[in-house]
Amino acid sequence: MKQVAYYKGCLASLSAKELDTSTQALAPKVGLELVELESVTCCGAGDIHEAEPDYYLHLNARILAYAEQTGCDTLMTICNVCTLNLRQANWQLKNDDNLRARVSANLETVGAPPYDGTVDVKHLLWLIAEGDGFERLKTVAHKGLKGLKVAPFYGCQILRPSKLLGFEDPDQPWSLEAIIEACGGEPIDYPAKIKCCGFPIIQAREETALGELIQPIEQASEAGADAIVTPCPLCHLSLDAWQSKLRKQTGKDFAMPILHLSQLIGVAAGLEESELKFKRHVVSVAPVVEKLEA
Amino acid sequence: MEATHDVLVVGAGCAGMRAAIEAHDAGADVGVISKLHPTRSHSGAAEGGINAALGNAGDDDPEKHTFDTVKGSDYLGDQDGIEILCREAPGDIYQLEHWGAFFSRRDDGKLAQRPFGAAGSPRTVFAADITGHVLIQVLYEQLVKRDITVYEEFFAWQLVENDGRCQGVIAWDLVNGGLKTFGGKTVVLCTGGQGRIYRVTTNAYACTGDGMAMALRLGVPLKDMEFMQFHPTTLYPSGVLLTEGCRGEGAYLINKDGERFMQRYAPNALELASRDVVSRSETTEIEAGRGINGSVLLDMRHLGAERIIERLPGSRELSMTFAGVDPIYDPVPVRPGAHYHMGGVDTDNDGATELTGLYAAGETACVSVHGANRLGGNSLMETITFGRRAGRAAAEWALSHTTIDVPTSAEADAARELGRMLDFSGGERPWQIRQDLGSSMLDNFGVFRYADQMAQQVDYLEELKERFDRGVVIEDKGDVFNTDLTSAIELGFCIDLARCMLQAGLARTESRGAHSRPRDYPDRDDENWMRHSISRWNGDGPELSYKEVRVTRFEPMERTY
Amino acid sequence: MDVGLKIWRFNRETGDRELREYEIDAPEEATLLDCLDIVKDKHDGSLAYRKSCRMMICGSCGMRMDGGAVLACKTRIYDVVKDGHVPTISAMGNLPIIKDLVVDMAPFWAKFRAVDPYLRPGYQEPPHGKEHLISPQRMNVIHKEALCINCGCCVSECNAMESDPRFLGPQALAKAMRFVGDPRDGHKIDRLETLNDEHGIWECTRCYFCNERCPKGVDPRDAIAKLGAESMKEGIERDMGAKHAKWFVHSAKTTGWLRETELVPKTQGVVSAIKQTKFALGLLKHGKVPPPFPPHVAEGVGESRRLYDLVQDQGVRGYDAIVQGERALAKLEHMHDEDNGRDPFAEGTLRPYLPDEKPEEIGGANEGMGSLTQADVTPGEEPTRKPEGGA
Repeated sequence: MKQVAYYKGCLASLSAKELDTSTQALAPKVGLELVELESVTCCGAGDIHEAEPDYYLHLNARILAYAEQTGCDTLMTICNVCTLNLRQANWQLKNDDNLRARVSANLETVGAPPYDGTVDVKHLLWLIAEGDGFERLKTVAHKGLKGLKVAPFYGCQILRPSKLLGFEDPDQPWSLEAIIEACGGEPIDYPAKIKCCGFPIIQAREETALGELIQPIEQASEAGADAIVTPCPLCHLSLDAWQSKLRKQTGKDFAMPILHLSQLIGVAAGLEESELKFKRHVVSVAPVVEKLEA
Repeated sequence: MEATHDVLVVGAGCAGMRAAIEAHDAGADVGVISKLHPTRSHSGAAEGGINAALGNAGDDDPEKHTFDTVKGSDYLGDQDGIEILCREAPGDIYQLEHWGAFFSRRDDGKLAQRPFGAAGSPRTVFAADITGHVLIQVLYEQLVKRDITVYEEFFAWQLVENDGRCQGVIAWDLVNGGLKTFGGKTVVLCTGGQGRIYRVTTNAYACTGDGMAMALRLGVPLKDMEFMQFHPTTLYPSGVLLTEGCRGEGAYLINKDGERFMQRYAPNALELASRDVVSRSETTEIEAGRGINGSVLLDMRHLGAERIIERLPGSRELSMTFAGVDPIYDPVPVRPGAHYHMGGVDTDNDGATELTGLYAAGETACVSVHGANRLGGNSLMETITFGRRAGRAAAEWALSHTTIDVPTSAEADAARELGRMLDFSGGERPWQIRQDLGSSMLDNFGVFRYADQMAQQVDYLEELKERFDRGVVIEDKGDVFNTDLTSAIELGFCIDLARCMLQAGLARTESRGAHSRPRDYPDRDDENWMRHSISRWNGDGPELSYKEVRVTRFEPMERTY
Repeated sequence: MDVGLKIWRFNRETGDRELREYEIDAPEEATLLDCLDIVKDKHDGSLAYRKSCRMMICGSCGMRMDGGAVLACKTRIYDVVKDGHVPTISAMGNLPIIKDLVVDMAPFWAKFRAVDPYLRPGYQEPPHGKEHLISPQRMNVIHKEALCINCGCCVSECNAMESDPRFLGPQALAKAMRFVGDPRDGHKIDRLETLNDEHGIWECTRCYFCNERCPKGVDPRDAIAKLGAESMKEGIERDMGAKHAKWFVHSAKTTGWLRETELVPKTQGVVSAIKQTKFALGLLKHGKVPPPFPPHVAEGVGESRRLYDLVQDQGVRGYDAIVQGERALAKLEHMHDEDNGRDPFAEGTLRPYLPDEKPEEIGGANEGMGSLTQADVTPGEEPTRKPEGGA
């Protein structure tokens, strides 16, 4: 079992609780022992990075510092935005002595542990797309997706900027497809899989955001997908909770179920509804469940 | 007519934009015609810096700058023009800074100045290694601020002369197609140089001497055509420029044994000797078998990663992309490449040519401030200072005159010629002639010149001219964005200019500056040859005559570094 | 080597679009631009594309390769085709196509002009008519934005602009930041006010495509973030985007976790939020609207609150707070083998020497005066030879 510090982020704590429950239930099956971080806050998303950049740096340094306290070498995230934020802060602090000195001193002043730069931040996606994690995945997804057609939606901030994320080629990613296949599903290809769901501006510029959101949903639908899977709860919120708003634009009711990554694997691995919590989705996942039970 | 303006500026690089801005500020109505969007102009590729005797990096004054420039020109530069350049340079730099140019700074906040070739004192103001880019940006911003009209992607093809005056420009509208005639009380040519005549050059594709050729064909004299500067550090094999600033920061030039050979040729200045000296030294080493792949090596390893990344990041990226070498770890293969043309349209100190109403500035012009060899950093300065002067002179003339008279036959004649070009079929494509021109010029009129090769080249150019005149196949017959057509016209310009260069070079029986004849005339001959070559078109080809050099301050001395 | 290219041709007059395939022979060091030249010279003279400098500085040759914008002159073709791949070349996105790979840049330049892309000086005159005195650190605040060559690669892939063509876009906003951060400009507040309008800063969707595609390392998304940070530092917070961001900050320093439920009214205002009621009820049914009470408070949130106050005291705010991280981020641009310990002067490598010296001497730069003094000490190490001679 690989021990990892677990940072669930804001959404998985509240509106996307299903992401947390499915992740926690899935983890042991894919060889991950999660050490939950208690004393942490929101990573700030792109918003605190833009509004109070120094505060963003400190909040993330604090999360990293608490992760270091667990003794693990890896901090696991389950959200794209958290991943980028933490990795960016981590890089900036590790590669600038003066910056690190000031931030770490500040952390100690407020009673937090210092930042030492001993932890690497990785999304769950990366931990199970290759290596030992992937091998475990293959053995555990025994219930299988039975050829379910799944369209991967990556979400911007797990791919770009690639110099900070660096796991896969941002123009030709493969990790979600590999996982879908390993779980017995059929990955669906479509151009918008690496584009933006619009979530960051879905309140401030709804029309523009919906103009972006329509693309993956419509394209996946036209390509015959049964469901979309995404590694980011913010994308999930856009794709799932805001899907109904697309009806006005197009007159169409896509009824496209959106799965979190941990749910997709979870369902293939035989997790219960109490762990998957599909009922929390706005767009019903029932068609997927039916197909799999058939 | 498409439009008329007080002042038409052809070319929108540093010189063109500076001239346009000045003409506008002087109250004239300006139209800029450029075959590229202004910020694409080749001035933007300049890297190392722009010279002015600010005195920020040590004792310096315009007098010292003047002397260095005169000496650097191998005493062929017109000293009154040089004095003007060096005296007005500091004010021009400060003006650019006030307009917001992004220059590198010293810790105390003043403009930083770095050492450059053949400069007695560090006087090259710079912006990391992207000085040209920074200047192009600030000038374009000022152009936009004044809302100056730019006809961008209009390919200027012919000048219109009438009644003893230059009256306008006929251009091909690249985006929509069709010939468009522009009337102007004055025309300022700022179209840059013609490095693309050579196979190995630092120059952009666009550098085909358009303005020079247009002036030439109108009978306007060109000056000092034989003087082409070969920059010593162009990357192998592409010819992409690696700035002299690398050597200014301390880089070494070594041959295949690791020897810093410059000590044998220029024992005091070493790598920072004048460019013609360095190019000749490199060529000698290469020809003696001490090079690798026809190149020598530029070694920056001892500067250390941090300094290279801070001061020369662009050069590092260029080395990695175009030569596949990271200068932090390995020496970079470099060789001389055609870089800058000291000659050009003969002008006075205000950019005026022999033809009333026609002006020129920048690399297109020959004032001459660079004589037989140009110092690094002086060219950007020339574009600003003389661009400004030419712009103002053109504006003042235009504002004191009222008429423009472009005969309707001008466009009709041009249209006929165009039709003939497009109709031609069953022959060679332009690239074949272009390739033959580029290779033969490099072989026969490069760093070292030999009488027999030059004579051969004169004949060969006649042959190329015949091949071109017979006709080249332009496959694209369409109107929209027909660069197949415009690049064929550019080739015609290049051939005519090459003929001027060869004629002047063969006739000059001495070595001076960039014109080097090591076998038959290895020495400078001030008694007979301290004069400018003048090339004039007589309908069939160029005709040679001479003009005195204006000496005001410094008598010629032996030139050693 | 053999190179195959698929190129999307387009004729504006007829509206015809066609994917044509070309097989050419190109040298190994060829760039995509070199390959296009070979196609045009030797195979199809009607192919239209822009080019000029061929050294990544003029910005002419922006085009899409396999759906992503690149500079053709910067793209070494060997790595692209070595496994037999045939790339698809097409015109840049988000701009109308004139012909083949040539796009109409007029909308691009229009947005550029819209941000007043020139210095608007303040009243402070520099001393003695000479240069403004500006430290290198202060000037470097905008050094990334000053790198922009107007190539359009960022605009080509901008997701927000694709959805709303009126969005100012990454290039115009980066250029705006270049002036907002220039100490010589006297109109920062005016500029920020305009940039906070409907199609400015807050319409950026943070997809990071611009950062990814920029060939010069400008990082337009970061420039936009700098503008947002500076706006909020100057108290310009009227936009919903700014309010949205402010609520994140408020959440972090009160409860630690994002107070999701209140996010909607706090961002959009109560009246607008009420209009969303039906939508909100839909979410509520599925538990997507967590009750605001009791608040979900993070453990140890006191530290977060104290951190906020401490950070405010230390006063690193606005664009400076983003610039402070650039020193470290620059290491990503300029990666080299430093940590792999590769020694440039390892055994067997060429060592420079002067003709009158022994080959083992290695010189070092000396404040850029390398040619006028012969520094014989590798910086930071013991002298290999004392200036007076001897061991």
